[in-house]
Order: sequence, then C-alpha cells, then structure tokens
Amino acid sequence: MPKVIKTKTEFEGRVLEEYVVVEGEGLSAWDAHVPLQFVGKKTTRVDGPERVTGKALYTFDVQLPGMLYGKILRSPHPHARIKSINTQRAEQLPGVRAVLSHQNTPKISFRRQTFLFDEVVRYVGDEVACVIADDEEIAQDALELIEVEYEILPFVLDPEEALQPWAPRLYPDGNLLGGQPELYQRGDIERGFAQADVIVERTFRTQCALHNCMEPHGSVALWEGDSLTVWDSTQHIFGVREGLARLLGLPLHRVRVIKKYMGGGFGSKNNLGKYTVIAALGAKMTGRPVKIVLDRHEENLATGNRPASVQHVKIGARRDGTLTALELKAIVTAGAYCLWPPSLGGPARELYACSNVKTEQYTVFTNTGPLSAFRAPGYVEGTFAVESLMDELAQELQMDPIELRLKNYTEIDQTTGRPYSTKGLREAYERGAKLFGWHEARTPPAALLSRRHAPKLRGVGMASQIWSGNGMPPAYALVKLNPDGTATVITGTQDIGTGTKTVLAQIAAEELGFPIEKIAIEIGDTQLGLYAPLSAGSMTVASVGPAVRVAAHEARQQLLDVAAQVLEVPRDSLTIADGLFRSPALQKPVAVHEVLKNLENFMIIGRGAREPNPEDVAVNTFGAQFAEVTVDVETGEVKVERIVAVHDSGRVINPLTLSSQIEGGIIQGLGYALYEQRVVDRNTGIVLNDNLENYKLPTALDIPEIVFEMIDRPDFRANNLGAKGVGEPPIIPTAAAIANAVANALGVRIYELPITREKILKALGKV
Amino acid sequence: MVTKAARPRKRKIVVRGPGKTSVTLIVNGETHEVLVEPRRTLLDALRKDLGLTGAKKACDEGTCGACTVLLEGKPIYACMALALECDGRTIETIEGLARDAKLHPIQEAFIEEDALQCGFCTPGQIMSVKALLDENPHPTLEDVKRAVSGNLCRCGAYPKIFKAALRAAELLRSRS
Amino acid sequence: MRSFEHVNAPDIKTAIALLREPATEAIAGGTDLLGELKARLRSPRRLVNLKTLSNLREIRYSPKAGLRLGALVTLAEIERHPIIRERFSILAQAAASAATPQLRNMGTLGGNLCQKPRCWYYRHRLFHCWLKGGDRCFAEDGENKYHAILGADRCHAVHPSDLAPALIALEATVRVVGPDLDGEISLAELYTKPTESHRRMTMLGPGELIIEVRVPPPKKNARGVYLKAMERGSWSFALVSVAVQMSLEGKRIADARIVLGGVSTIPWRAKGSESILIGQEFSMELAERAAEAAIAGAQPLRDNAYKVSLAKSLVKEAVGSLAS
Repeated sequence: MPKVIKTKTEFEGRVLEEYVVVEGEGLSAWDAHVPLQFVGKKTTRVDGPERVTGKALYTFDVQLPGMLYGKILRSPHPHARIKSINTQRAEQLPGVRAVLSHQNTPKISFRRQTFLFDEVVRYVGDEVACVIADDEEIAQDALELIEVEYEILPFVLDPEEALQPWAPRLYPDGNLLGGQPELYQRGDIERGFAQADVIVERTFRTQCALHNCMEPHGSVALWEGDSLTVWDSTQHIFGVREGLARLLGLPLHRVRVIKKYMGGGFGSKNNLGKYTVIAALGAKMTGRPVKIVLDRHEENLATGNRPASVQHVKIGARRDGTLTALELKAIVTAGAYCLWPPSLGGPARELYACSNVKTEQYTVFTNTGPLSAFRAPGYVEGTFAVESLMDELAQELQMDPIELRLKNYTEIDQTTGRPYSTKGLREAYERGAKLFGWHEARTPPAALLSRRHAPKLRGVGMASQIWSGNGMPPAYALVKLNPDGTATVITGTQDIGTGTKTVLAQIAAEELGFPIEKIAIEIGDTQLGLYAPLSAGSMTVASVGPAVRVAAHEARQQLLDVAAQVLEVPRDSLTIADGLFRSPALQKPVAVHEVLKNLENFMIIGRGAREPNPEDVAVNTFGAQFAEVTVDVETGEVKVERIVAVHDSGRVINPLTLSSQIEGGIIQGLGYALYEQRVVDRNTGIVLNDNLENYKLPTALDIPEIVFEMIDRPDFRANNLGAKGVGEPPIIPTAAAIANAVANALGVRIYELPITREKILKALGKV
Repeated sequence: MVTKAARPRKRKIVVRGPGKTSVTLIVNGETHEVLVEPRRTLLDALRKDLGLTGAKKACDEGTCGACTVLLEGKPIYACMALALECDGRTIETIEGLARDAKLHPIQEAFIEEDALQCGFCTPGQIMSVKALLDENPHPTLEDVKRAVSGNLCRCGAYPKIFKAALRAAELLRSRS
Repeated sequence: MRSFEHVNAPDIKTAIALLREPATEAIAGGTDLLGELKARLRSPRRLVNLKTLSNLREIRYSPKAGLRLGALVTLAEIERHPIIRERFSILAQAAASAATPQLRNMGTLGGNLCQKPRCWYYRHRLFHCWLKGGDRCFAEDGENKYHAILGADRCHAVHPSDLAPALIALEATVRVVGPDLDGEISLAELYTKPTESHRRMTMLGPGELIIEVRVPPPKKNARGVYLKAMERGSWSFALVSVAVQMSLEGKRIADARIVLGGVSTIPWRAKGSESILIGQEFSMELAERAAEAAIAGAQPLRDNAYKVSLAKSLVKEAVGSLAS
C-alpha cells in the first residue's frame, strides 16, 4: 500500500517541504564489499549505436507528414509597447498558413511576469508574433512582412543602475525581484568581523554566460482530435505536460510529451518554453503538425543564461586562519523575467565552518534576456568569488591555500547543524594535491616578483566544491518482465546526454540478475512513463535510480515466487544471476525464460518509488580541483595546461559515463573562466554575439590535460544506491581554480570573469 | 524547373530559380533527384528532402560543425553550401558509414571511448575524423585535434573524441 | 536567405557581364556570402557561381616567375601545398590559422581577400551602419573590443583576412578583371579605406573580380612568420595578427615587410617599422623600436587599447623570432 510521507527536500540551494508517496520495499545500499556485476563497472552507452550512426531521433529531427514550420518574430527593442501589429501582408504570402500574435490568441499568463504574446516587450528578442508556413524560409520571408508599431519605452541594462530609484521600471513594483533582497544570516556578522585579526574584502564580477546547447530549443506539436502530442527538447517532460495542460486548459490525459534524444540542456531546458505553446496553438489553428525550432540567435537571446553578477565579499579571520565572519552581497541580473533565481550565496554559507555569516542577494530585472538555470546555478559564480578571496586571505596570512581550507573544514552542514552523511572533501584535497604535485608546483607568492621578467609565467591554483546532488522524491519506475526473460524499465525521466539510460540499465540488471543486454529502458514519454523529476540539480541518478532498483527488486521477488512454484524448489534456495536460476535443489541452472514460458504470457510488473531523504543528516557532494596555467606576459594569452580533479559523489555507478561528465564540466568551466561572455550593446540593448562566432566556446585546441579521481565510497544514508549526482559538481570549482592559478602566475589578481588577454595585459600594466 | 534563357549572349547561360529546380545529389553512393529552390542549403536538402537527419543543424551559419559531411571526400559544412552547387557531386554523410548493419570502426571507437554525451555534434565529429583517417592512417594527437577543431562540442567530450580517433586509427590499421 | 536565381558562370567574360547587372552577386566558396544572405543583410536577385571557372583553380610555381594562384584555390590547398609551405611559409601559416578545416576546404583565396568585415554591427540586421549605407558607426561609442586602432575614420571595422597581411608581406600582386579593366595591381592597392562614396574595403566595383594572385619568387635569405593572437586556441578571427617577411645578411636586415591584420579597416603595412629595421644589425632593442613604430598614431577606442599592446608584442616577437 502506498505510504504518504511529509518530507523536506533541497533543490539547488533551496529547501522545499512536500508530501511524497512511497511504495515498494525499503532497500539499503549494497555494501562496499559486495561484489557487483554491473554497478561500478565501465559500461558503454546502451544507446551508443543510435547516437553514432545518426539514427537517434532528436526533436529537431522529427518530421511528420504535412508538417508546417513556425518562426517567431522577436522584438528589436529592449522595452516597448506594441501599439499595433499588421499581419495582413504576411498572411497573403503564398505558403503562409497562419500568423499568431496577441491579436488572435488567448491571453495566456507566462512565467508569472508576462503573457505568451505580451503587449509589452521587455528585451530584444521577446516574442511578438509567429508565422506558420510550409517551410522555414517562407516563414522567415513572412516575418519581414509583419508591420509592428512600437511605442518605445525607456530601458535599463545594468543591474546596479536598475536598482536606482530613477531607473526605468520593468514592473510597477520595481526592478527588484520580490521587492527586497534575499537575506540569510547566522551568528552576528559585526561581532565576527570585530573578532578578526585580518579582513579581506573585494568585489568580484562574473559575466553573463549562454548555454549554447548544440540542439536548439524546439518542439513539434501534433493534434489528433482533442489530444495533443508534443515532441520537445526538454529536461522535464512532465513539467512540460503540466504546463501545456494548464495553459491550454486540457486534461492531463490529453497531453502527451515525448523526448527521446536531446542535444544538451544544461538547465536551459528545465521549463516549458513559449515556442512549445505557440507550436501547439499553431497546430490547432492550421490543423497540421507544427514544428518550431529556434535558430542559434534566438537560442542565445531567449532561452536563458547564467546571469551576470556583482559580488562584494568580505572575510574575517584570526591570525591562525580561523574564519570569524563571512559576508557576501550579490547583485544578480535576472533579465526581463525570472522563475527561479540562482543562489549565489550557497558556497559562502556552506563551504566553511564559520559562525557568523551573512548573505544578501538582489535579483534585479533588466531589459535583457531572461536568466535560467545553468549547470550549478549560483554555485559556479559564488565559488569563484569565495574561493578567490580565500586565496587572498591565505596569501595575507602566509598560509598554504589548502591549509587555510582545512583549518575551516566542517563535518557539519553549517546552515542546518546536521552532520554530513559523508564528506570526502578532506580526502579530495589530499589526493588532489598529491596527484597534482601541489606542494612542488606551487611558487610561494614571495617568489613571484623575481619572475616578472620571464616571458611566460606559470601558476597553480585550487578551489573547492560543494553542491547538493542528493536526489529526492518523487520518482517512480516500473520494471516489466517479458516472457522471454527480458526486462523493460519504464519511467518518465529523460536522458539529456548524461547517460541516464545506461545507468538505469546497470541498476536494473544488477538487481534482477539479468544480463544488461536483456534490459530495455523506456523513458521520455509522459503517456507511458511514471513520474520522474526534471533532469537537473544533479539528481537523476540519485532520484530515479533508487526507484528503478526498488521496482527491479519487486519484480525479482515475484519472479522468485513464480519460479519456486514452477520449479518446485524452496524459494529461499533460489538465486538469479546472468538470467539463470540456480539452486542446490536444481540439477543445472534454468534460464529465466524457461520458467516464464510456462505462464502463458504472464507479465511480472515491479513498482518502485524513491524513498524520502533522511532528515537527520545533510547529503551533499564535494570536490576539489587544481589548475596549472601559463600566461604569456607579452600577449596576455592564458593557457590552462592541466586540471586535476577529485570529487566525492558517493558510489560511482558507471565510471565511463561519469568520466565524461567530469571532463565535460571542467571544459565548460574553462570556457566560463577564459572565453565566454554575452556582449550587449550598451546603447541599444541588442546582443552582439548571439552566435557561435563571437560567443567563444572552447574548441578542440583549448583542452588541457585532465586528470581526475573519484572518492567512490557509497553514501549509505543518501539512498538505496549510495550514489549521488555528478552532473554539476565538476563545473563548480574550475573557474575559481583557474583564477587562482592566474593570480599565482601574475602575482596580481583578476577579479572579473572571463579572464581575457585584455584583462591580463591591464593587470600587467600594459594597457 | 524554372529555366529560361537570359538576354542573348555569346555563351548560353542557364538561369535556375528562384523557384524550384531539379538537382542530383549522390549521397552515400545512391543517386537522388531533389526539387529545390536555389536558396536551399545542402544541409536542408539532406535533412528535409532526403530525410537524412544525421547531419545536424545547430547553428546554420558555419560556426559549429554539427552538419559536417564529406563533399568529394573533403569535410565541409553542409549548411554553408547550396544544394544546387552540389549538383552531380558525391556526398558522404554519417548514414553511409555503417555498412550491412555493422558499425564503422570510428563509430565503434566512439562508443567504446564514450566520445559523446548528448550526441548532437557526434555525426559531425565522426565525419571529420573519417576525413582525417581516410587521408592519414597514422595521425598524431595533434593531427586529431586539428582535424576536429572545426567541430564544437558543448558537452566537452573532446578528450574522449581524441582518444576515439586514435583508437579508430588503430582499429582501421589492424583490419586492413 | 531570401530567394534568388542562380547562374553558373561559363567563362570569366560572361561572369563579368552578368555581375554588372544590378542586384547580382558572385559566389565562390560561399562561406562569407551565405553568412550575409542568411542574416538577410542583402538580397541579391541573382547569384553568379564562379566555381565553374575551373581554370581559376590552379597553383603554379616556377623559380623565375614565382607563385601563381588562381582565385578559386581553396585555403586548404594553400595550407597543404608543399612549395608554398617551403618557400612562402607565411602564406601557408596564415591559411592554416584561418577558420576551420571545413571552412578552409570551402573558402577560396579570392573570397578570403574580398571578404566583408566581421564587425558585429555590420553583421547584425538591426544595425544599419555606415558601411551598409547608414549614417553612423555604432562601434565608435558602442562595444568595440574587436575594432580598429589604426587609421579608422567613418568605419571602425577591421579587415578580417589572414591571407591578406601574409600576401602583402610577400609583395603579392593581383590580376583584376572587370567590364573596363584587366590589369595587375599590388594587393596592398586593392584595399582602400571606405569612403563616403565607396563604402567598401576594396577598390573593386561591380563586376570586378580578382582572378589570380601572383607572388614574386622569395628574396635571397628571406624568412617569414605569421603570428596571430586569438581569443581561443583556434577558429577565431585575429584580434591582431602580423605577417613579417625579412631577408637577413648575417645579422644585417637587408629587407623587411611587416603587415598587421585586425588593427585597421585595411591590412596595415607598418612602413615605419620596416624602415627602422632595414639596413640595421638586428638586436632586441631594434625589434622593440620597430614594434613601437608599428603602432605609431594608434587611436584606440574605449575597449580595444589592449590591441595596441598586443600589436607591439607580436611585431617584436615576430621580428625577434626571425632574426634569432
């Protein structure tokens, strides 16, 4: 019988209280010494062949008979009121099937702050209208024929300016999200600083970064009678279903959302997009399937970003390095709309033992593209600031950076007072330092000046990582056993490229005792799957994995029940491995299908749910990264030579796909540290590098040597796998480690990302 | 097919378009005739007219590499070529690599090394590696890096792509 | 792209005649033009495909006449050509540093030399900038980290070509043909600062084409280097680039040509630097002075002063590397 439990869950630095329903047996994680056949073993992707042959069908690849294409007209102004739209000429263009705008669509509230087609546009790129046509080029031709008359409104681009009383307002109650800063305090910050022997204080700035998933956001909508099917490039099929049903007034059983393969999300595909709703409306209007896929420019304007930040950080410490106070004030650029502000104060609150902490965050509306989650939102930015300043403090105290961090090490979650279930950070520091050769490689600051005449300077730096990654309920799964001894795992999660399918197959194979080839994973379809959460917050494995394990366990129990009866052996004597029953009571092993074939297509179904998280401990992930850079003092070129990373995310399920995540996170972190930055024209609010030419992602020729190790120790309190998430942790400390290495090389610190040639040359006094 | 003679000249010229015109594309050894406007890119012709969606459209302006195909054996961006200008020419796409349901060694190596995450750039990466290995069976790491330097991977699979390319070179050498 | 007609050019003469007609553009590699068409910056009624002019694909070399490159030679062919790599190494280096393998397989020499600027205001549909016929340069008081530091006037875009500085340093000439024109000019002369009445970065008018590039045989003891500062390891236009071709007699610099990219609306010949070097015994102090001269008169904008320092460093490094 389902049990209803009230529980607290944490998601990306914020705590929620909710009910969860649990079913199936509570299992404990496999002991570390139990030999496992699949879990913990390098396993190539179960869908590898599809992905390398071009056969994997992404949303962008869906082509339906009679399908039309939609293209969206976007605002050329950062702030304006639409006075009129004339779509007549566009509608008359041959091949145009419909033009949607606020004039002929229902007024649908969107993201709380706006409407599907709003009469006020608040950034360059805001949706104004949409043409549905036979082909994309025709739709594009038609966009040029739509006449829009705008009343231009004053705009503001800079968040600090937007906080001024005289600044143009995006909303009647001002530009500050929630009307007041988000405040966190523990202890007495003033007293903490009064107790300090040394105080360091700096302002850090981080840029606006763009996700640039290779597959753009997009949807294909198909109506069959009153039922809507949408293929969507999304990290959350159930969220999209709920949103579509709510906005279009449809019952849930009439909305089906499918996502089979997806070309990256990184947080930007967490939520329902306007293009999805527009595609559904357009398909309804034309009676034909409609595909809307954004182009690279739209992708960079309208699908979210890691917001720019200004962070004032102040740390007080005693001579021996003990922190007495830590204060962080962050101003975060929301852009025009904001669903979920990142929490920049997270690392300041959580990384170190410190009784007096204050964080204050101003999330500010500006007339620029809206923010969204972006791989470890807030923590990447916050870690850059805090870990940079910790290095300055270490320098001030003439301590080794690791020594300072260890001095303030905590086994207790500073925000809740709960002990960590496991924390491998100390070991990460130690193993990382050893792998990297930290103590040999590091030039003490005092020796830096003597090297100023070298053409190339070498520097090393490190930084720490904390993140949740604990996973949470609700997440449900079914495991179906087919008569031929194969199994189908069904759940409503999505594989956004991380390898979810493979990991779930490993878990099911392990629990069932079936060969992995006998497991099929069916995910990404709301009509078939059970609810699973969004693929974000590094929580898929730790949320869905345990549910799959329980479902597989339930199926296995039933299988043993029927096998004992069919084979007429004591149930307790039976084991299953490699798809075979074994028992001392049997002369030889019996294949699973040999038993099931006697049962006339009886199908065993196991159900599983994710259990609630423990409330007496804090479940987190940790890690440390080390960077070595060289800086050309003549040209300002920074080259990251190598990164060493050691992370603790509990048990490793698949070392192969995990290593891809680690390397990928580091490489994204490197891009963020050195190259990536959205550039908005200060005079017009137009994004100038909404493309991959001038928004610089790392290329094959920018990749350093990457060495990493995992602590790989099960966290028995976390869930029945002992595994935690690893998607976000590796990006968190990279920029901070690189910035610290650059500071170590130059003897001067750069307080603003990205660290470009220009900033290096300036820091060296050459500009 | 809209064909008309322009004003009288010494040499007869053939004006095609702006409406649809017939183009012959030889893709993975098969000859296809498609009816496209001159403004149709090779990428759209492959994806929309031939249903070959292996080459991906991620930027559509020659800045990402996801649409890399081989034209007369050389890697190009299909989004920056007009289908019309590929008339009668041979094109190799990701769909042509696996033969008789058997993966190409480069594809095997990409799976073995996990040289992909989301997989969206993968067909392009593989085609760039294919072009490299067709020409140079003994590439160095540096050769590999340069060969895929026109293919962005936002997931950051680069280190594994390098390994996969080198492994594929070995596989190909050992099998030939 | 807006729709257009398409014609394969049967021969050069016909191509020129076709290109004289209004709203007609030439397409060769297409990598620059298609970018503009996709952004709908321009809407030619007709494209004339030059790729059919197969006689423009040749690379010829003789020790006496030097190198002759047809305009349709691709960047990849230049990058890989053994004689170019050996005797005109800066050209091969410049080609190899440009764009990506795929773009180098597509892009042609002629197209590279005649490409339009990458200025993000020029390339953006929403800015009707001066170069596109508007009345102002938006970079002047806008976002100008990529823009010109030398010799800019109404337009602050930089010439993006990698090949042009290298070829000018090699004293290349080009054969230009047009309705009323068939002649050879130095490549340096091809580039003109855009003016009120001629808002283009080359002197070419409608129907005028480069059909061949000629590079004289290398001078005695000549050596060259092409250095390019980019924002990342590859696939970037130059923040600043420098092509240096020098002839040395012992330690004495007999001849030097220095051309910078990424600093001006045209490839920027640093004659001041050259005259400091020529006839002198090499020393790092001399290189330093030459580098200083390269940026004489620089007028950086708000965000691009770093280019001054970068240009100086690259010239110094390039000269230093050739002399030592």
